Amino acid sequence: MTLLTEVGTLDVLEAEAVHVIRECAAECERPVLLFSGGKDSIVLAHLAVKAFAPAGLPFPLMHVDTGHNFQEVIDYRDQFVARIDERLIVASVQDSIDQGRVQDETGPRASRNRLQTTTLLDAIAEHRFDAAFGGARRDEERSRAKERFFSHRDAFGQWDPRNQRPEPWTIYNTKLKAGEHFRVFPLSNWTEIDIWAYIGREGLSLPSIYFAHQREVFERDGMLLAVDDHIERYSHEQTFTETVRFRTVGDMTCTGSIRSTATTVAEVLAETRASDVSERGASRADDKTSEAAMEDRKRNGYF
Amino acid sequence: MAATLHVVAVGSVDDGKSTLIGRLLHDTGHLRGDEIEAVAEASRKRGRKGIDLALLTDGLRAEREQGITIDVAYRSFDADGRRILLGDAPGHVQYTRNMVTAAAGADAAILLVDAKSGTTPQTRRHLALCAMLGVRDVVACINKIDLVDYSQARFDEIAAELRAAAAAVDGPRITAIPLSALNGVNVVERSPETPWYDGPSVLEVLRDLDQPIVETAFRMPVQWVIRHDDGVNDIRGLAGRIDSGSVSVGDEIIALPSGVTSRIARIEVLGEERAAASAPLSVTLHLEDDVDVARGDVISTVTNAPQVATRFRATVAWLDEQPLTAPMRLEARQGARTVPVIVEELHERLELDTMLQVAADQLDVNDIGIVNVLAASPMVIEPYAISRGMGSLVLIDPATNRTVAAVMVDEVLAGL
Repeated sequence: MTLLTEVGTLDVLEAEAVHVIRECAAECERPVLLFSGGKDSIVLAHLAVKAFAPAGLPFPLMHVDTGHNFQEVIDYRDQFVARIDERLIVASVQDSIDQGRVQDETGPRASRNRLQTTTLLDAIAEHRFDAAFGGARRDEERSRAKERFFSHRDAFGQWDPRNQRPEPWTIYNTKLKAGEHFRVFPLSNWTEIDIWAYIGREGLSLPSIYFAHQREVFERDGMLLAVDDHIERYSHEQTFTETVRFRTVGDMTCTGSIRSTATTVAEVLAETRASDVSERGASRADDKTSEAAMEDRKRNGYF
Repeated sequence: MAATLHVVAVGSVDDGKSTLIGRLLHDTGHLRGDEIEAVAEASRKRGRKGIDLALLTDGLRAEREQGITIDVAYRSFDADGRRILLGDAPGHVQYTRNMVTAAAGADAAILLVDAKSGTTPQTRRHLALCAMLGVRDVVACINKIDLVDYSQARFDEIAAELRAAAAAVDGPRITAIPLSALNGVNVVERSPETPWYDGPSVLEVLRDLDQPIVETAFRMPVQWVIRHDDGVNDIRGLAGRIDSGSVSVGDEIIALPSGVTSRIARIEVLGEERAAASAPLSVTLHLEDDVDVARGDVISTVTNAPQVATRFRATVAWLDEQPLTAPMRLEARQGARTVPVIVEELHERLELDTMLQVAADQLDVNDIGIVNVLAASPMVIEPYAISRGMGSLVLIDPATNRTVAAVMVDEVLAGL
């Protein structure tokens, strides 16, 4: 029979992600999809829309907003949510600071990246969410490579990597006790290249900062950080204008850009394939603090 | 050739699994400069000479502190256009449950054996577990071959032991490769150090393994019913992932366990209308008749439909610290269904070293045994050898919510 279309790697990854999304929606009472306006969460939200079309999403989106995001990303976020016509909850780190739940860091190294954990866990508790979809991938980082699709978090939001639930075949144990929740990672087996290839195939739009543009930057720890009121500079840190793009989009204070002239998905793909630096190495200052920085943050309830 | 090959790396502790995976990723260009630098830095901190590639996949703090693998790490890489999803399974006996998790669903296994110490009880256990889980191909890497002076005699001896062990468990096909994961010998390319070996490298085997057995009978567990009224039509789509086989518009189908029948009116593959679709795609099926089908039902073609049963005999891999004794009340999760069950009888335990079945009154963590299970309501069940999807399930202890067993159905039994 020739009616069958050939099934490629992206088709398999897409089918797997949709299977996980549908399982979670069916088994959990109150899921939420964590949406940052970054490329991985855009792919995730796109897959969720496809999983339930033509009906709407059976869960809302939620953005944990550090208040230090790139304006282009916030604009994109709002347009995206309007286009798919779904509900967006914004959990604000600034609110957590105002309520005295967390304390803002100060100085040139100040970042709200770590503070997000409290805001996220508070929002999960407030809305009684029992599952939060995230766009994390196993290729991002060593401790991520150990993640399950349904990653169990106790009532304190903690991850216990030594005692994870087995996931043989594609059968997921979705049982929870009161106060516990899951982090669900449908994109676990995708790589950075897969994400870009899929964005190209599906014709998805992205925030403009993912493509080459002129920006005033300064160099710190080998990374090009954006010049912005939210980031205090040391006196020796000179600013200059450079043609750059961002490989990841996170809190401005810890997300670096790279020199690039890539203005299309195809050019970004070619550049990414040829790059000798990993995604996190290129753009995340938060993982450079220690070998187990990500594992430690995840244990405490980080994304 | 299949788009994706699921591979699990197994073997005794210290036989070099993590090193081989690091080597495969490194030598195929899947490691970036900064990742290598991070591993080099971690190696220096631990006083290792050169780069210890094992530190790449041992991602947890406790793993790097102890120099062992505790939980499965997954990495994806491409071998000349074929996607390989590689699970790095723990070698320690106390983490066998994590090895079972990694090997369940794998198409092939890479089995590491230390050329100096040869096959160990744990090697044979892993081989038996692979056989039990239906892993059809085993790439046996006789590692650290440099430490036995690249001896062909030693290689032949261990390869023969492995083939005998595989035959004893009615098991997988063995491809034996002399290897030095540390030095990259026969990992990606065939190396001059073993001129007497004319077989493939590890990467070549993974690239060229023929397609895993594709079960042909159409099975799709319904995960979710999509309801949508667009003003003209009240749509009722059955959403799920095709577990095996393929389906075409016009096919006569049966929904089980209820037994209602209809025909396929439309097939959507995530928004795209298709005349047919096959495993492993996620799809939405539309039926000609407005019949009662719900989450947990299995859609099958009318011909070659699976059995519906409440009792079955099964092989269980016990994963929980609290032992299994019969009778025990648990919950079974299979496909998109959760059903209360009773493990009625524990027949025997399987000695993996000898493959002997011995009488047992309990199964401890990491034990394998044969049981009879009675389900509270009808389940769509097939032997694991025929259908991985309909023949596999997990058991959950409703008191703790822990996943306590991975189960493979051996035989469907008559009900009560």
